[in-house]
Amino acid sequence: MGDVANAFFNGEIFKESIWLLVKTLPTVFEVLILGLVCSYLWGLILSLMRLSRFRVLRYITGAYIDFFRGLPLLLLFVFIYYGLGTAGLKIGALVSGVLGLTLCYGAYSAEIFRAGIQAIPKGQTEAARSLGMTNGQAMRYVILPQAIKLVVPPLTNEFIAMIKDTSLMSVIAVPELLFRAKEKMGVVANPTPLTVAAIIYVVFTIPLIRVAARLETRRRKRPTGGIPASGLTPEAEMKLLAADIAGQLPKGGEGH
Amino acid sequence: MTAMIELIDVHKSFGHLLVLQGVNLTVAKGEVVVVIGPSGSGKSTMLRCINGLEPIQKGRVIIEGEDLHGTKTDPNKIRQRIGMVFQSFNLFPHKNALHNVMMAPMKVQKKSRTEAEEIARDLLDKVGLADKMDAFPEELSGGQQQRVAIARALAMKPDMMLFDEVTSALDPELVAEVLGVMQRLAEAGMTMVVVTHEMGFAREVGSRLIFMDGGVVVEEGDPREMIPNPKEPRTQKFLSMVL
Repeated sequence: MGDVANAFFNGEIFKESIWLLVKTLPTVFEVLILGLVCSYLWGLILSLMRLSRFRVLRYITGAYIDFFRGLPLLLLFVFIYYGLGTAGLKIGALVSGVLGLTLCYGAYSAEIFRAGIQAIPKGQTEAARSLGMTNGQAMRYVILPQAIKLVVPPLTNEFIAMIKDTSLMSVIAVPELLFRAKEKMGVVANPTPLTVAAIIYVVFTIPLIRVAARLETRRRKRPTGGIPASGLTPEAEMKLLAADIAGQLPKGGEGH
Repeated sequence: MTAMIELIDVHKSFGHLLVLQGVNLTVAKGEVVVVIGPSGSGKSTMLRCINGLEPIQKGRVIIEGEDLHGTKTDPNKIRQRIGMVFQSFNLFPHKNALHNVMMAPMKVQKKSRTEAEEIARDLLDKVGLADKMDAFPEELSGGQQQRVAIARALAMKPDMMLFDEVTSALDPELVAEVLGVMQRLAEAGMTMVVVTHEMGFAREVGSRLIFMDGGVVVEEGDPREMIPNPKEPRTQKFLSMVL
């Protein structure tokens, strides 16, 4: 029992590790913020192309989304950093990380945006069009402002998954939490740095999990009674929820 | 004088379901055409074809002399001249009443915020909602929402208005306030096509009554003559059931 405690909670190493690992946070945040902005923007663009009038565009984006949802993120990181590097296209570790997140999470968030856009009742588009708005204006001024409000909770869940998936970048030498923790573990021959890394991860993820849960309940329970504030029909709510869950699915079996 | 609305042999189908099977209709300036008929008769679809919300398979839709499906026509431009009010209100839930009305003048007609706000305040006042400008749709009753929707359509200064069963989703006690606004609009000379089940409105406000069934216009005439004395058997049967 004492051995186990010493292995995972060695006081001396614990203290050393905290500062060492906290120092990686600026790097982690940099990757995360860039990954968040790029992947959500890319996802929004993909979702609009997925819903385009042009069949070819729909098929291409559909194929893209399926492909990247089906691909392990770890493989993608290795491919971009080592694979392309071997082929003569050298990309830095950080950039590779952001690119991998964008390609992969762009596909997930595209499905969420699409579900959000489709959850807005058709009457909204019709009202906008009947006022003389073009399709683009209706999307921009009427549909998207409503859809984005709807997708905040599922996108928060995406972000939580993204935080955890930054650990996959340890294999492409991004100096992030897990990378430094493993390094330290090798030096001190003791897994306590992993414990510290674990604590730092959950310090960030648990509050977000709470926030996401609260956003979720707030969306479902509004004082307007039976009709949700979003004006969604119960079926549309179910569709969004289903897409929300589906968006989470591929990650479970991925890379870990 | 050119007709405001002219439908010539309009055919519309959803897949194999034929909804409009050759509709002909001409609406002159200032007319209030009331369209009645059993559900599934195609009256709402016809209304939606007038402003091009539904594409048609055959025939022509001509708005103030312009072919809606003409190669040189921009349907968005034509829609700006046709106001439409829906059964389910379709207000924008993320905007308050004032901004619902202001949106199209600002974004479509590129009017300044001040000008759009002036128009919106004036219209909301006219539909009796001067005290509800800041309210969001979910805070308004059905009747109030529908009056905002009418103001929103009027803000584009349309030449004609289409009403698609606008009182059907309302509690009975709220119907009158919406019909009242429509009646005032008719008295002000607005060209209107009104799909409704309100026979009282048809009789008092309508300048022409259209009975549709099976995707065609079965009978039309002066509502004050047609309601008590329908000629076609199908009209007689329908009217005997709704009156």
